[in-house]
Amino acid sequence: MLNSKLARNYVAKAVPKSWRMAAWAAPALVFSGLLAGCATPPPASDSAGLQAFQEQNDPIEPTNRFFYAVNDKIDHYAFKPLAQGYVDITTVGIRNHVGDFVTNFDEPGRVVYFMFGGKSRDAGTALVRFLVNSTAGIGGIFDPATALGYPETDTDFGLTLAEWGIPAGPYLYLPVFGPSGARDVFSLPAEFFLTPLEPAPTSLGVRVFGYSETALHLVNTRAQFIQPIDQIEATALDPYATFRSLYRQERASQLQTIDQHNVLTTPDWFPQPAGN
Amino acid sequence: MNIHRFVLAAAVGLPVFVVAPCAFAQVPADAAKTFIAQAGQQLVGVVNSDASASQKANQLTQLVDQDVAVDQVADYVLGRYQNVVTPAQHSQYLALFHQLLAYNITYQIRAYQGVTFAVNGSSVMGNDTVVDTTVARPGQAPADVGWAVDEVDGGPKIVDVIVAGTSLRITERNDYASVVTSNGGQISALLSAMQNQINRIAASQ
Repeated sequence: MLNSKLARNYVAKAVPKSWRMAAWAAPALVFSGLLAGCATPPPASDSAGLQAFQEQNDPIEPTNRFFYAVNDKIDHYAFKPLAQGYVDITTVGIRNHVGDFVTNFDEPGRVVYFMFGGKSRDAGTALVRFLVNSTAGIGGIFDPATALGYPETDTDFGLTLAEWGIPAGPYLYLPVFGPSGARDVFSLPAEFFLTPLEPAPTSLGVRVFGYSETALHLVNTRAQFIQPIDQIEATALDPYATFRSLYRQERASQLQTIDQHNVLTTPDWFPQPAGN
Repeated sequence: MNIHRFVLAAAVGLPVFVVAPCAFAQVPADAAKTFIAQAGQQLVGVVNSDASASQKANQLTQLVDQDVAVDQVADYVLGRYQNVVTPAQHSQYLALFHQLLAYNITYQIRAYQGVTFAVNGSSVMGNDTVVDTTVARPGQAPADVGWAVDEVDGGPKIVDVIVAGTSLRITERNDYASVVTSNGGQISALLSAMQNQINRIAASQ
């Protein structure tokens, strides 16, 4: 099964550019889906149940569960076997460097998201990370920026919207893309355009590189989660609810991290001011 | 590296240490770190020992009972449904919770072979003292794991596991609540689901 950012941040980029229009249409399609498959809230007499229902904020749970089951099948028969084969022929070191390489592609987009979110320090860090890792890090294969005092801070357009005060809204589980929400679903169209490949001139080479990077991104990411996902599916009473909970907690944690990192920092290699 | 750690959170601690938030006295930072260091070394010692899987499972279950406030965990996971559960159901629930915990530990032993554990620092989060550690396994990226410690029954106990901002006690609570709400608020449905899970894991071992 595809989960959270494995879908949101990876599969979104994995879809060919020719699917862009579908990405733009995704939010509209999702909201039209709200009209169907609504969950029935417990009666007011069941106060505990009603409270739990409201906390879950998953009004189209039947529809979400249907897509969860679909994605699970896709993963079971396609992504997971591919990832398992990839693990068999690679080492942890290789997979980490592949992860660094594909992460570097996210940094330009993060600069924009942070700027729109008013997080200038985070934006500067993302910019330095991209410049350093693209050069000294040999195209992002290595991550010297972290060692220099510029740690990675993840973000996306959904979190930018959150910085603007827009609430997360109801939970959504998207076909192929996986866990999302009424606010976060708007990340999908944004992420298609904020990659270094977007301004590159159209050519066969760029297209082949884009597809290759995308495929590597998907398989490498899924490979990292073979054991954890297996474990959740084996031990959780309701894996769907477990992934929903983890997704929401992770989003809240990401927002906290963005704020924590958006402070004046002194790189490790620069003389530290008194009091640090 | 951009790793999406919320899944790892569940991988690292979900079945082993699902714990409850207990509003007990705060444990001093040094005491909490010492406690977690000892518990971690014991855990690593058992997992990496040459004992059989069943022996390891028994030792780990004892370790969990010793270091984790399991009953408080169970009650936290039950959440608001503590108000509607009958005494008989509550007793059955606690028994199933302990049993499920033991089975989940057994399930995970193989995956944690070769695990190493290092204590980094500590911080205060609400009533808890959170001890930061790094857990590393062969073939896996190291994971930063926070262990929330409270004083329970006169001694320090683990009351939550936090990885990349995701709390395992909250995750488990939502998991269980979903089962109850999906079945019309019936606690009996939760008990059945727990029993089915135990049967399923037992059959697969």
